[in-house]
Amino acid sequence: MIPPSKALIIDDENHIRKYISLVLRSIGVTTICEATNGAKGVEAYAREQPDLVLLDVNMPVMDGIETLRHIRGLNAQACVIMLTSLSTRHTIEAAADGGAVHYIRKDTQRDELVALLTDLLAEKNQIIN
Amino acid sequence: MLETKDLRPPPPAEAPLPWRETRGRKILLVDDERGNRTILRQMLEPEGYVTAEAESAEAALEHYATFAPDLVLLDVLLPGLNGFEACRELHRRYGAQTAPVMFITAKREADAIVEGFDAGGVDYVLKPFRQKEVVARIHTHLQVRLLLAHQQTLVAQLSQANSAKNRFLGMAAHDLRNPLASIRGLSEFMLDGTVGPLTPAQDELAQLIQQTSQGMVTLVNDLLDWATIEAGELKLESKLLRLDELVAKAVRLTGLTALRKQTRIEFNHARPVPRIRVDEAKTRQVIDNLLSNAVKYSPPGSTICVALEFDQANQRQIIRVRDQGPGIPDEERARLFTDFGRLSTRPTSGEPSTGLGLAICRKIVESHHGTIEAENQPAGGCEFRVLLPYLPS
Repeated sequence: MIPPSKALIIDDENHIRKYISLVLRSIGVTTICEATNGAKGVEAYAREQPDLVLLDVNMPVMDGIETLRHIRGLNAQACVIMLTSLSTRHTIEAAADGGAVHYIRKDTQRDELVALLTDLLAEKNQIIN
Repeated sequence: MLETKDLRPPPPAEAPLPWRETRGRKILLVDDERGNRTILRQMLEPEGYVTAEAESAEAALEHYATFAPDLVLLDVLLPGLNGFEACRELHRRYGAQTAPVMFITAKREADAIVEGFDAGGVDYVLKPFRQKEVVARIHTHLQVRLLLAHQQTLVAQLSQANSAKNRFLGMAAHDLRNPLASIRGLSEFMLDGTVGPLTPAQDELAQLIQQTSQGMVTLVNDLLDWATIEAGELKLESKLLRLDELVAKAVRLTGLTALRKQTRIEFNHARPVPRIRVDEAKTRQVIDNLLSNAVKYSPPGSTICVALEFDQANQRQIIRVRDQGPGIPDEERARLFTDFGRLSTRPTSGEPSTGLGLAICRKIVESHHGTIEAENQPAGGCEFRVLLPYLPS
């Protein structure tokens, strides 16, 4: 599997951005950008053109669902993985129904998170190739 | 004569008890003889009661709706409907809300008295009556009614407060969960050298952080599960599956943790068991919980036996988990499957525990219409059994 070289993490919580970025580095992602809210995230997406976006659902200023709409507006093929918690899982399931978006729970164990991301990215590569 | 001094402590100042005062309560007097009604009225009004009168059962039923009495004094022998019939009709119309009905009658046969109570009466007073007795009985019945209403209000308030508390608990646990999971994850990155090498002392601290946050994540998960169940939001997504496969998976996973305590988990099942309709994740949670408890409470180096059998006679599957722990003290057995029912028995390696695990298990098993039980073994240790019935789908 060829890991995407550039990823963007959009989450208002510092510890989540740090944790996810370490997970991404451990699976071979080389460049990681971070944004602390949805609006800044959309800007960062336009500027950086990342291969992969990890997007929090519940954020101030602009929530994840709306941010997703904006990013999709910029690039209909954008690969976005929603970062959810227990309470937001159903929101995203409903909102992203039918889309190519995946979701992972932020409190997932590291090994599982690595496995999930590896699987998701392998799937994405398959679609591309 | 020697005067004795009362040494008893003074009674505590009484809080106002809304059900103590019965003055101002409304009583409906039903008798076909005006004279009898007048006697009753003259007896009750000085006591502070408000009265209304009816000369027949039919009139009483009509008055009842508008007057809304707190108690009915009802003669039995009436023109038209008799008192018993009127009492039954009141209960049919107003159910549990019906005001207490006291029969007051000259009809003194034992059968009649029984029928009066049968019809829903709370008391039966024979004419001629002693005024003080009737007043005392009325007072008692009114108090009981007021007390009941008061109690219902309290129960409703308590149940509201309780669900508010549960919501709060759920929110608190929920907000703790992600940061804790991050602390755990970040400490793991420190431990594996991702951010540079650690000195042995730093490594020890990072390990402590990792273990402690892992323990806290488990506790918070328990709290969340419990809050979900308490809020009545436990939903089963059942499907047909093979329990032996599910148990085998759980045994493999917990087996890894058990190895750290040199504990082995053996799983025996005779032949493939028929598939059963259960919620996979929830059933797995029960099995995981029983296994990790067995490891927690058994001394290092123990063997834990897991068995699965099909109880043909009762059409159910039985999962047995037998540990080599100290067993459950008899006097604590009743608390075993209750909320926060932590026992005096402690985990043998200081593993954390909320005391919610088994309560959650019980709720999950019961939502599958099954039962969970525990029994000390004569040879030592304890056996936990989960009995899951086959349900017609």
